[in-house]
Amino acid sequence: MREIRGGSVGEAEIPAVAAVWPEARPRSESPFAEGMRRFGRSTTALVGVAIVAVLLVVALLADVLAPQSPITSDQTQTFARPSWDHPLGTDQLGRDMLSRVIHGTRISLMVGVSSVVLALFVGVPLGMIAGFYGGRVDLLVMRVMDLILAFPIYLLAVILMVMFTPTAGLIGIVKVTGAIAIVRIPIYARLVRGSVLSVREKEYIEACRALGVRDGWILFRHVLPNCLAPIIVTTTLGIATSIIVEATLSFLGLGTQPPTPSWGWDLKANVAFIQDNAWLALFPGLAIFVTVLGFNLFGDGLRDALDPRLK
Amino acid sequence: MRVYILRRLLEMIPTILMITLVVFVMMRSIPGDPVVALLGDAYTEEDAERIRAAYGLDQPVLVQYVIWLGKLVRGDWGASILSGRPVLSDVLVRLPVTLELILLSMGVALVIAIPAGLIGALRQNTWADYTATSVAMIGVSIPEFFIGVLLLLVFSIGLGGILPSSGWVYLPGTCPTMVCGVSLWGNAQHVLMPAIALGVGRAAILTRLLRSSMLEVIRTEYVTTARAKGLGERPVVLKHALKNALIPTVTVMGLQVGFLIGGAIVVETLFAMPGLGTFGIDAIIARDYQQVQGFALITAFAFVAINFLVDLTYTVLDPRIRYA
Repeated sequence: MREIRGGSVGEAEIPAVAAVWPEARPRSESPFAEGMRRFGRSTTALVGVAIVAVLLVVALLADVLAPQSPITSDQTQTFARPSWDHPLGTDQLGRDMLSRVIHGTRISLMVGVSSVVLALFVGVPLGMIAGFYGGRVDLLVMRVMDLILAFPIYLLAVILMVMFTPTAGLIGIVKVTGAIAIVRIPIYARLVRGSVLSVREKEYIEACRALGVRDGWILFRHVLPNCLAPIIVTTTLGIATSIIVEATLSFLGLGTQPPTPSWGWDLKANVAFIQDNAWLALFPGLAIFVTVLGFNLFGDGLRDALDPRLK
Repeated sequence: MRVYILRRLLEMIPTILMITLVVFVMMRSIPGDPVVALLGDAYTEEDAERIRAAYGLDQPVLVQYVIWLGKLVRGDWGASILSGRPVLSDVLVRLPVTLELILLSMGVALVIAIPAGLIGALRQNTWADYTATSVAMIGVSIPEFFIGVLLLLVFSIGLGGILPSSGWVYLPGTCPTMVCGVSLWGNAQHVLMPAIALGVGRAAILTRLLRSSMLEVIRTEYVTTARAKGLGERPVVLKHALKNALIPTVTVMGLQVGFLIGGAIVVETLFAMPGLGTFGIDAIIARDYQQVQGFALITAFAFVAINFLVDLTYTVLDPRIRYA
């Protein structure tokens, strides 16, 4: 199946790029450096990077940036409209919405990034082993992966979260991260297995074997670098998906539990009051949207730049 | 062909068995069980044991699964532990709601994606293309529930409440009881926002996909040939190019069904619809084992059945693809 492609980088340059890459490129420039140069020329990709960079800063400096505590409620200030004191208003418990949205960035990015990294660290080795050794190992690993893939992902994620019992704080974050990672492991295993299968038969791998290089070294030094471009692209776009899954679980009440601020939860909690307080549901939703958009633009740009073959 | 269909139908069975088995084991590994919830404050260890024995919950998990399967093949989906109602009838009551939602949202997705994808590809690098791709980019980045909330803000609150924010009016002929609201117009009003909320994200994905596969197809030699023999632009695009470009789109649509079922949980929750999605999530959270099994079964079945239909669609779109 081919990857979905969008964005506004002109296709006109893709065939030309595909034709010169990787064989006929100038010796002085690596494909990676060339890809990065292409990346730098794409406005949409840079917008994505800018959004992601700003979000990272907000997440890191949440304690400094947030005007108030995201969990301290002020019963005299419930449902305050946006004002100088509360730029995004307050919720039904009188908590400052801006502070909650700012702190929500942490949860969203932490879960989004760490679940993908976790899935990556389990899925990539599994895929490499399955693809490289083939036979029974391959059959066993891919059967398990296919079983996970056979589930509608929300059904699996929801049941996993009920199994883990959602809680607040760091442990709650770890649980959500774990659930999302499990759902996403097969994506990497499959991707890497496919790449390994095509790389395995190349002459340079045969040469390594003839030289007596150990399997582990071949896998990490020679096979992995050749599968890196699709892994990087899938990871970036995967963060966007994971953030949506996290928000959705929270929306269903199965993400991190209050008082830990989470955009999905805030949106759900405030939907009940949108008749008179529309902004309460609007801001957490916008925050989710902007974050996901940032990672999607970033990932799309990377795909166009690093792996023209993926188109 | 008949042999192929038969073989595929048989191949569905292990997948469905595996999914239901995994759900079965996972649900029973959750600490606590529905009996605790059922008894509530009146909980005593003896009562709990008695009820567990009555529902066979004291048996080993695999034995319970085999018993469940055995009843299933005789058409008995079991009864809810908490409400006592038979699971099959509950599922059948809720199925039309979710089916309507999913079909309509797929319709919404296609109605948006086909023209948008075509325009994007045929008018590549024009403002029309940029608009289509930008809107699609926004579409893939908004979660269903936020689109739902935006629709609520506009149509239920902003425009004086022209569309209802929650609840359901049944299509004529699908009302499960004597007391529900039945009307075609009322149904349309209730299903419109949920279907759009669920469909827009899919539309965006399909638009991006269709655009890129059209761009590829439009450069192939048979399209050049079709143009060279003097065919007009319309038949070239619609008959020669689009049909071939639709193949990957159909594949992805099949894959999206899994997301649609999950999305139905979210959208039905937001709009308080009495569908399978709310049934499933409520059952999972309440650990109503029998209901969860019913939900897993119907979900797994829908999932494999639609992927099967997708494979059959290939033969229609591309006669070269044949199944022996």
